Amino acid sequence: MERASVISAIEQALSEVLERPVSGLTEEIRLFEDLHLDSTSILELLMALEDAVDLSVDPEELDMDDFQSVGSLAGYVLSQQAATSGR
Amino acid sequence: MTIGTAYTADLKEALTGDRSTRLVWLCNFEVENQWARDYPGLPAARVSTTAATVQRMEELGALLAEPTDYLLLDRPLDAGYRRYVERLGLGAPTELVTRAPAGAGGTSQAVLDSPELLDRLRQLAKDGARLMPMGNSLLEQRISQLTGLAAAVPDAAAYERVNSKIYSRRLAGELGLREVPGSCCTTVAELRAALAQGLADGGPVIVKDAYGVSGKGLLVVDSATKAERLLRMVDRRAQKTGDDAIHVVVERFLPKRFDLNYQFTIEREGKVRLDFVKEAITAGGVHLGHVMPPDLSKAQREELARAVELLGERLYQDGFFGVVGVDALLGADGLLYPVLEINARLNMSSYQGRVTERFLGPGGTALARHYPLRLAEPVSFEQVADALGDLADPPAGGTGLALTCFGTLNAQSSAAEPFDGRLYALLFAADREQLGLLDDRVARALARLSTPEGTP
Repeated sequence: MERASVISAIEQALSEVLERPVSGLTEEIRLFEDLHLDSTSILELLMALEDAVDLSVDPEELDMDDFQSVGSLAGYVLSQQAATSGR
Repeated sequence: MTIGTAYTADLKEALTGDRSTRLVWLCNFEVENQWARDYPGLPAARVSTTAATVQRMEELGALLAEPTDYLLLDRPLDAGYRRYVERLGLGAPTELVTRAPAGAGGTSQAVLDSPELLDRLRQLAKDGARLMPMGNSLLEQRISQLTGLAAAVPDAAAYERVNSKIYSRRLAGELGLREVPGSCCTTVAELRAALAQGLADGGPVIVKDAYGVSGKGLLVVDSATKAERLLRMVDRRAQKTGDDAIHVVVERFLPKRFDLNYQFTIEREGKVRLDFVKEAITAGGVHLGHVMPPDLSKAQREELARAVELLGERLYQDGFFGVVGVDALLGADGLLYPVLEINARLNMSSYQGRVTERFLGPGGTALARHYPLRLAEPVSFEQVADALGDLADPPAGGTGLALTCFGTLNAQSSAAEPFDGRLYALLFAADREQLGLLDDRVARALARLSTPEGTP
């Protein structure tokens, strides 16, 4: 999956979680400080992303670093997909 | 000058039998995380967006502790804020600061890692002081064991027993108190059945961790798709760990007039007294704060008082005494749901008791809330006072503003800027209309400190 498609999937998942249209995300945007996600909305975001990009996430294995920004989350999704397809 | 108040002395008498007991306060917010260790809930990423802010909330204890008391902190109070607290006329406790700022184990672990502080606590124990944690867990119990500083509250096992939302639901059922429709789950299979039932009944439902705290560990499930997503995730965890345990309650979303929060105290000998009832204020679904007195009929008040009697008696039988906060709800149908969850520990409202007694006028109203601010850089207490102008003066004649926690304002400043800060406050006015006007004035004054924000 292309990085741009992952960002677009994150936008779609965020729109669902935040119940408002989210578009034009840049990689630097911070999930907590700028988008005001919290632990509840993070769980919802991961659940929505699992459906959108056919991914299996174990939230308990994720670190704070993976959630720093839109870019770091996209990086996490791509690395998970690489790991899955490499199995 | 310190002006006498009875709230904290009453609490000391209830807990220790002596109004002048010197307490060492340990305001361990989110002690639930300790109680939750053996009870897996919803899957959760190891992220804490508000850990630094919650850590600073221990400073709320400065207004609850009496000047003869001690307050354990992982860093000193801001000097400007401490002078402000003294100006309020309530005096301020002696600060006992840990060797290093707290890590993941909070101030309790930081105390355990501070040998000289433990020595000081041993000395205070010899002088008859008692440890007063917000809630007792194994960490605070360890401090008592190491220092001889006996807790003024029940042991950790009692706290863990009565603070689960599963316990709250079961108790309400057994005592015949009106329950929110829903169920308790301890396995994935039970969760599956509860979600199916809740959605079949028309949903949406809310799934709450047995030991979730302050808006964390809860999930609204409003569709079969979302239910399946959740079940898929918890199924995977069960397969991976070989343990299908999940400790949650699943409850129907009830249309409501407003949420309520009330507090009662169970004395060491079992006598129960209602402390106060507050009404939650929301705007557009966002929680703003609590106002008192609440807009309840005489019959509703009596129903609450009856619930307090039953709950207090039963909690005491189950080995608990001390402060109990309960979240309740007044339904859109006018029916009172007296137990959404029991928080048998100090609550946010508990910290406001002494300030409220000091400044609330006869027949007056009070609003407890926090003001969220978006800051480009840390702000000093003096800058806050400047922005507030005469609002920074202590309340007089039942009108005015008292700032109840300052440390939370700059707690997130180590994150990249801009960052979110919170200023906790209590507002007093003659009636609700005046209270609303005062709230607007404070919000406008503080907005000068905020930096604008774009919406991606």
